[in-house]
Amino acid sequence: MDSFTYVNIFETKGLEYLLLLCFWGLFVYLIKYLSTPDKKGNDSS
Amino acid sequence: MNKDVAITDSFGNFFSFLIQELKPRGPWLTPFNIISIPVILTGVGILVYRFIHGLGSVTNLSQETPWGLWMGFDVVTGVALAGGAYVITFVVYVMGVDKYHGIVRATVLNGLLAYSFYGAALLFDIGRPWNAPNPYIGNSFGFSSVLFLICWHFLLYMIAEFVEFSPVIAEWLHLEKAKRFLKKLTLGTVILGITLSILHQSGLGALFLMAKPKVHPLWWSEFIPILFFVSSIYAGLAMIIVEGTVSHRVFSRLIPEKHHDHFDDIVFGLAKGAAITMFVYYFFKALLFIHDGQWDLIVDGWGLWYLVEVIGFVLIPALMFAFGFKHRSLRIIKIAAVMALIGIVLNRMNVSVICYNWYADVHYIPTWQEFVVTFMVIFSELWVFRWFVTRMPVFSADH
Repeated sequence: MDSFTYVNIFETKGLEYLLLLCFWGLFVYLIKYLSTPDKKGNDSS
Repeated sequence: MNKDVAITDSFGNFFSFLIQELKPRGPWLTPFNIISIPVILTGVGILVYRFIHGLGSVTNLSQETPWGLWMGFDVVTGVALAGGAYVITFVVYVMGVDKYHGIVRATVLNGLLAYSFYGAALLFDIGRPWNAPNPYIGNSFGFSSVLFLICWHFLLYMIAEFVEFSPVIAEWLHLEKAKRFLKKLTLGTVILGITLSILHQSGLGALFLMAKPKVHPLWWSEFIPILFFVSSIYAGLAMIIVEGTVSHRVFSRLIPEKHHDHFDDIVFGLAKGAAITMFVYYFFKALLFIHDGQWDLIVDGWGLWYLVEVIGFVLIPALMFAFGFKHRSLRIIKIAAVMALIGIVLNRMNVSVICYNWYADVHYIPTWQEFVVTFMVIFSELWVFRWFVTRMPVFSADH
């Protein structure tokens, strides 16, 4: 029976997929974050 | 209006009007004049010397390092910083966001002058400047060169920007019919200008595609044209924030009250756009870094320098733009804009000068004359910009 081998994430596209998932997650968060500006402070300089 | 007739009814009147407008206005002894006049005069002297005795007499350029500060800053960096014009005209005329209409004229003027001056500065850096018209006149067209595309795009884009700005000149000369006609051309020229901009902003990056062995691997990528294009968007937005802030202080009396009140809102909108663009750009850089497996390159001085550029002057300003927008902090946004501009200058200089021939034993360091001429170009542009905005209705409220 073949033994289980770990996949080296550095040798596959794994990191790229993870980064893209992070990107999309953070991008959606950023858009939501920027969609409602805080009305409190406005320090004109 | 009687003045309409007075200016344009005869060549004599027009000529005397022009002479009148060319005369200096305001006080001479201002800090800007005191600094810029000696720099411009010294720069002119250096250029005379350069054209008599050749590039080697005033620069540290060599066969190994043919592109230096003049090409790296004036052309490769300057064009990115002038990207605000195509971004704003796209937002206003194509997307129909009227909020930014008040800054269109100043931004287009800034873009037009930047291209004119930085395009002209290209002549200083060409060893045989008399060959410069070749791409236009058909003497060895050079279709296969990216520079051929860039040369034509520079010329066509300058014409497009001039047409976009021409209603202001018509208004200045009180030519109402001409102004109405020229305004009808705006949408078409804007679309042409945006197309040209996208192509030559990325084309400047494409220039370095063939220099793979010479550019440090952290800065070279087959996607460099796309990186140059995306970064030119936020460079333009950051430049508008900085330039607009300075203009609103220096030319305060020329700007209508309603524009003053409206400007903060414009800055917040630009900051939001810059935050999103920089975020995308940052992740694109990260993806390329991982895709190319550049972990080994990050451990030395060049790697540290790369992190300074990408984290210090892309990620951090992107977060500052987002935070500044969310919390309505103009101060944070303006600091972020300056940092973003430094990041763009760093990136373009890294690709074209600092990390070019990075393995060489002797590195290129610009001479003081190269710095003086670079500042001469910037100051000359600012002088002409000041002349335009103090004579023509660039900051006009109704257009």
